[in-house]
Amino acid sequence: MSEVDMAVIKPEMMKSYIWLQTADGSIQQVEQEVAMFCPMICHEVIQKGMGSSKNYAISLPQRVNPAMLSLILDYCRFHQVPGRSNKERKSFDEKFIRMDTKRLCELTSAADSLQLKPLVDLTSRALARIIEGKSPEEIREIFHLPDDLTEEEKLEPLKNTTDDPRIRLLNRLYAKKRKELKERQKLKNIEVEEERVDDRSVDDLLSFINGDNGDSKGIKNSKSKKKNRRRKDQQKNTSANEAIKNHNKEPNGLNQVCCSAEVGQTVRAGVGATSNLHDVEDDIFDNKNELDDGDIDDEIDPALKEKIDREVEDFARRLNSDWPERMQEILSFGHERKPVHFSLNGNDSLRRYANSEQR
Amino acid sequence: MSIVIKQREPSRLPSKTDAEFDRISNLPGHVIDQILSRLPIRDAVRSSVLSRKWRYKWAKIPCLVFDNHCLNFSSQDQSFIKNKLVNIIDHVLLLHNGPIHKFKLSHRDLLGVTDIDRWILCISRSSIKEVVLEIWKGQRYKPPSCLFNCQNLVHLELFNCLLEPPLMFKGFKNLKSLDLQHITITQDVFEKLVSSCPSLERLTLMNFTGVTHLVIDAPNLQFFDIGGIFEDVSFLNTVHLSYVSIGLYVNIDNEENDARDNSSKLLRFFVNLPHIRRLEIQSYFLKYLAMGYVPSRLPNLCVDLNHLSIRIDFDDLEENTAALCLLRSCPNLLELEMLARPEEQSSMERSTNFWEEDHWSSLFAHLRLVKVSGISGVKSEMDFIKFLLSNSPVLEQLTVKPASQEGEWELMKELLRFRRASIYAEVIYLDP
Repeated sequence: MSEVDMAVIKPEMMKSYIWLQTADGSIQQVEQEVAMFCPMICHEVIQKGMGSSKNYAISLPQRVNPAMLSLILDYCRFHQVPGRSNKERKSFDEKFIRMDTKRLCELTSAADSLQLKPLVDLTSRALARIIEGKSPEEIREIFHLPDDLTEEEKLEPLKNTTDDPRIRLLNRLYAKKRKELKERQKLKNIEVEEERVDDRSVDDLLSFINGDNGDSKGIKNSKSKKKNRRRKDQQKNTSANEAIKNHNKEPNGLNQVCCSAEVGQTVRAGVGATSNLHDVEDDIFDNKNELDDGDIDDEIDPALKEKIDREVEDFARRLNSDWPERMQEILSFGHERKPVHFSLNGNDSLRRYANSEQR
Repeated sequence: MSIVIKQREPSRLPSKTDAEFDRISNLPGHVIDQILSRLPIRDAVRSSVLSRKWRYKWAKIPCLVFDNHCLNFSSQDQSFIKNKLVNIIDHVLLLHNGPIHKFKLSHRDLLGVTDIDRWILCISRSSIKEVVLEIWKGQRYKPPSCLFNCQNLVHLELFNCLLEPPLMFKGFKNLKSLDLQHITITQDVFEKLVSSCPSLERLTLMNFTGVTHLVIDAPNLQFFDIGGIFEDVSFLNTVHLSYVSIGLYVNIDNEENDARDNSSKLLRFFVNLPHIRRLEIQSYFLKYLAMGYVPSRLPNLCVDLNHLSIRIDFDDLEENTAALCLLRSCPNLLELEMLARPEEQSSMERSTNFWEEDHWSSLFAHLRLVKVSGISGVKSEMDFIKFLLSNSPVLEQLTVKPASQEGEWELMKELLRFRRASIYAEVIYLDP
């Protein structure tokens, strides 16, 4: 080894390192001053004492893959040196930012998850420069954006959005299931749904939904309601039953009580209060879906999305497969069920119905 | 990397392949805001036709800038342009959906005052933090009183406006930066405005009408830049002020004032600037400072003063005296700039030997950079340069720039001869 190598190695051995682990499991060590340039890593080291050894490697956010990490560390390695002039830093930045747009977007995402604001600023500026002055077609091509707006939608300027992520998620789920429903309904005779008025506000419904998220009792309640209707409607043809089944596959596993056995079903004459259960919310979602078909909600945690998807599929499957057994279950449960989960405010109608069911 | 060009299928759901390649649409909201905010407003709004996801992303950007880039065409018909512009701004404000933090309006053709009132009302409802309003044409614009209700304002910049806040106005609690240029404001309103903004750190005031005695009462003020016509300036309670740039754009008549007021303007000026770091004395302000009694040195040295820039008439005795006092009072001076004021008329007392005399008991111990410009090779000027060169042991660079080509050679020949205290000194001669 030459003298230079020796000189380089000795100081290296004195440095301290921080251990980082990327989402794919690979672990690497990085010089401390370089890694500490990232606020998120700094926080982990100082507040939680992580990163000192291989076993306690800091887990980096999912958006940081090894390639991006290596780029980010290059950036940090340059900028953490205090003596550099502004001119040097600017010229480094200019060269650094030259990469294809795909990597640029990934880098932005990774830098943001590490809270490295200067790099996020740099990359956003670069992305803005790419977008500026180009036609929509050019931009779509560069960033691989789907051209999924209809011509009218492109002209339509104003939409009333409350921006509630829950509504958007429900829209999505509903849209998906509605598509399936439509396909099946094409083959069946479905009776025209009657107009029913539900004067619950959307907020009420949502709080109700959230109170019942994944709650099995809620499911049973809905089944018992369905049961009542079934008994009264046994004269109806099987198609109606199937329609009910189909309808029960409705997306909103969260929305079960609301939409179960409602939309598409006929009036249960005796169950007067049922009329109050009709879910106008479905209509609302209906209308929203005209606009939002396929609207991908980009702010819902993917994990939560999957969980909800699974629940919905689950519920649909269960209903489809063991309906007769369920009937027995329901019949036996029905009489004992107490309606405890209706957390709606001032909605007497719902409670009234539940009470009548008690009898 | 190959680019995949997809068929246009407006109604299908995005497939997995799309999601794989489309990296940008799923970036976090605040990052998208940043990207869109950096685009001219036109490009930002046009992003709504890119794809379903992008439809309403632009409506969240917190920063709206309407300037000359807004309209991408020019036309001779001013009213046509004006209508277009008003239309665009109305639409954007109406369709915008979210808080607006920055609003800038600075289009050269903008005139219509009632439209601006309407827009200001709109943004005042939206926790606005920065307002920049530049009216390039027409008379002074009077902002509506709703502007003064924006309690979240951090930066306010007005150009060509008339300020008349409502009587109930109690100040901007969060205002850090105020920039008023070409404005009309009364004395009381100005004083009240400055003193009722406790967080004020930066104040810029250029070309103002209506204020003659500037009284600055701002405990957190750090930066003060003023240029205009006034009679008096005094700082109250400005301990943190570190950057001051003052230009007095009118030549004052010393004789008149001497009779009335013998107090030292210089002393009064510096008494409340203990931590000043950069000082620029422009136009005729040195004359103002020279009024009254001028000590040989300030009682409290300006130990933090690192940069000094003075516009001076080297032939005027009083100005020279004031300048010398200043130079003696900043022991830690690093950079000095002397700009010679072009002579309009012969001054009262021509002092040609001022800098020849030995004024110095201590040296410019830290002075590194000096610039002298606008000189014409007159004796007093050359004496000053000589004085400077022989009293700055660590000088690195002296830049000399004459006012005109007249007498260049003589100037240069003289420069060559001067002794230099610093062995590192470079004397750089710039062409006029």
